[in-house]
Amino acid sequence: MEAALRAGEANGAIAALRDATPFRDAAEALLQRIAAIARPARFGAGTRIYGANDAADDIFVLVSGRVEHVFKPEVGAREAHKRMTRGGVFGWAGLLLGQTQRLASVTATEPTEVLRLDTEELVKLLESEPLEGPLVMERFATMIQREFTLPALLAQVRRLSGPLTEEMSSISLTMYRLSLWLKSPRPYLMVIGFALFLGFWYLAVEVWKLPRFREMPGVTSVVKEWLAPEPTYGLSIYTAEYYQHIWMSVWRVTQAFFLATLLGVPVGLLLGWSRKFKQYLFPVFETLRPIPILAWVPLAIVMFIATESAVVYLAFLASFFATALNTMLGVESIDESYIRAADCLGANQWQVFRHVIIPGALPFIFTGLQISIGVSWFSLVAAEMVSGQYGLGYVINTSYMMVRYPTIIIGMATLGIVGYATSAMVRIAGDYLMEWRVRELALTER
Amino acid sequence: MNRGHIVIDDVVKVYDPQGAAVLAVDHCSLEIEPGEICMIVGPSGCGKTTLLNAIAGFHEITSGRIVMDGEVLCSTEKPKSAPGPDRIVVFQNGALFPWKSNLENVIFGPVVQGKLARKDAIDKARAMLADAGLAGVERNYPGEVSSGMRRRVEIVRALMNDPKALLLDEPYRALDSLTKSVMHEALLEIYYKNKVTIFFITHDLEEAIFLGHRVAIMTTRPCKPKKILNVDIAHPRDYGVLTSKRFRELIEETNDAVHEEALKAFQAGEKEG
Repeated sequence: MEAALRAGEANGAIAALRDATPFRDAAEALLQRIAAIARPARFGAGTRIYGANDAADDIFVLVSGRVEHVFKPEVGAREAHKRMTRGGVFGWAGLLLGQTQRLASVTATEPTEVLRLDTEELVKLLESEPLEGPLVMERFATMIQREFTLPALLAQVRRLSGPLTEEMSSISLTMYRLSLWLKSPRPYLMVIGFALFLGFWYLAVEVWKLPRFREMPGVTSVVKEWLAPEPTYGLSIYTAEYYQHIWMSVWRVTQAFFLATLLGVPVGLLLGWSRKFKQYLFPVFETLRPIPILAWVPLAIVMFIATESAVVYLAFLASFFATALNTMLGVESIDESYIRAADCLGANQWQVFRHVIIPGALPFIFTGLQISIGVSWFSLVAAEMVSGQYGLGYVINTSYMMVRYPTIIIGMATLGIVGYATSAMVRIAGDYLMEWRVRELALTER
Repeated sequence: MNRGHIVIDDVVKVYDPQGAAVLAVDHCSLEIEPGEICMIVGPSGCGKTTLLNAIAGFHEITSGRIVMDGEVLCSTEKPKSAPGPDRIVVFQNGALFPWKSNLENVIFGPVVQGKLARKDAIDKARAMLADAGLAGVERNYPGEVSSGMRRRVEIVRALMNDPKALLLDEPYRALDSLTKSVMHEALLEIYYKNKVTIFFITHDLEEAIFLGHRVAIMTTRPCKPKKILNVDIAHPRDYGVLTSKRFRELIEETNDAVHEEALKAFQAGEKEG
């Protein structure tokens, strides 16, 4: 019968855990939870704690004393013998992929005190800690590879299931990613980049008054106008009209983008999948694709009497070509062996299409969609400048004619921000659908 | 058990018969016994993969025929067979679908064929993975585990279909030599549990002699057996075999033949270039 640890013992256990590599940087709260499942045990000098091939169902953290740790020869560790003192961790084989048995035998060479942690209980505990759990597992992996000189082939820890991978709500997952992002240098570099850009603008226009920059609106006047409750030229974040323009443009791009995706992806899949279809369609496709969107304007106006549909049509056209072309390239990029493997495993044509062609082309499809949303904005604004009412392109064009220079910049900056947001949304959707790829890239980045 | 008997009978394969014809396989005959590990050794580009592709049903043959368990897979009249789950290929660079988890990959065959319900397939897959020392990898994507593990998962994916034969196309080529040695033992272990015919292509003579019941050393383009070696080392084998006297003798016996073909391939390559 092992009683729960008393208060003094619990503190001792936490201190011992903190001396062990996997738990070194863990938060106090997590250490307390781990200490709560730890059971103390003592072994006399010369006692064998466990032998190779025993069931690997608990992990030991050395509190005091000394043990000798000997790998069985098949493991292939560079150093088979290892002496351990306080802070040493052994018995972790159960954390490795595909292992259920001990890889080593361990003998106490002095009177030894340890903390025993049930492997499954520890894993369950770590799974309930979406932030720190994976970090602890990662430190286990590093320790096993470095301190125990185990070949990389063996030293792969299990993946925690639970919150992080399956049940974690999207909000907490986003928060987790956000906290990782804030810890990296990226956001700070980004701020510096913006500061440099705006600083140059300010100096060039307002301080140095460089030739060519002299006529441009300065950064301070633009920002003042943008944030003014009563703007001089009638457009700022306080005017309803500003949002009407944004909404109009976003709505047009959304229609164009979805229409282009709905048509472009299937056409691209067919182009890549069926040689005959490609022979019919591709030459036509390649002739139409290089025609600049502005060249379509007259035809669009003739075709659609309503300017609204003409504008959407122009934005759609550019997106459609980008999506269809990338989807086709995606299908053609799929390694022949995946299709052959599916054939071998007895899949029919439709199953190959559904399980190999579509997922295999997905990375290219999403590259295409990123480009597509970009060119959709590009051609939308061009179309809005030529014909149309409302919309950011319209704002820029009319402001130019009415000599409202700061408003031009407001329109441009708003386009930049909204455009960035939409393409980020496409990227997030892609990451969500291609978890396998996100994981693979995360591994290669390290 | 008497399945997986493959007879390659006088097979010829000519590429591009209209233009400059290249003879890849020349009147090649070879019989592979049920449950045998038959190793095909030859230099890269000698035409051995062409032979495998013909058995698998990826390519047509020009003449001759290939018969498995009495069923004609392909012949002069019907030059290409349809690939199917009775003879499954394990590819050189691995062909686990990277977008499916290891478990989804393993259950793919029986589920698409409608042979097993998804749930039963999952149970069977878990048992087979555990049996191959791969418990715990189910949830991972192939890109997240080591290349050695990926190869083992791929072999398990093939065995899920209870095939008559496995066709392995230099599956361990890209692995480092340490991993390779572990993989050889793992393959033998899987083979001892599931006796299937194994048609294994390699250019590594030691690998061939260590694994195979018989080793067919092929001539380089056109490809046909030059010498067939019976490896009289008893199965089950383990890594001790590599240092045994008989193993060394067998290497010596065949090394010249292999080297000669490698040299021919090398010189042919020089002429073409």
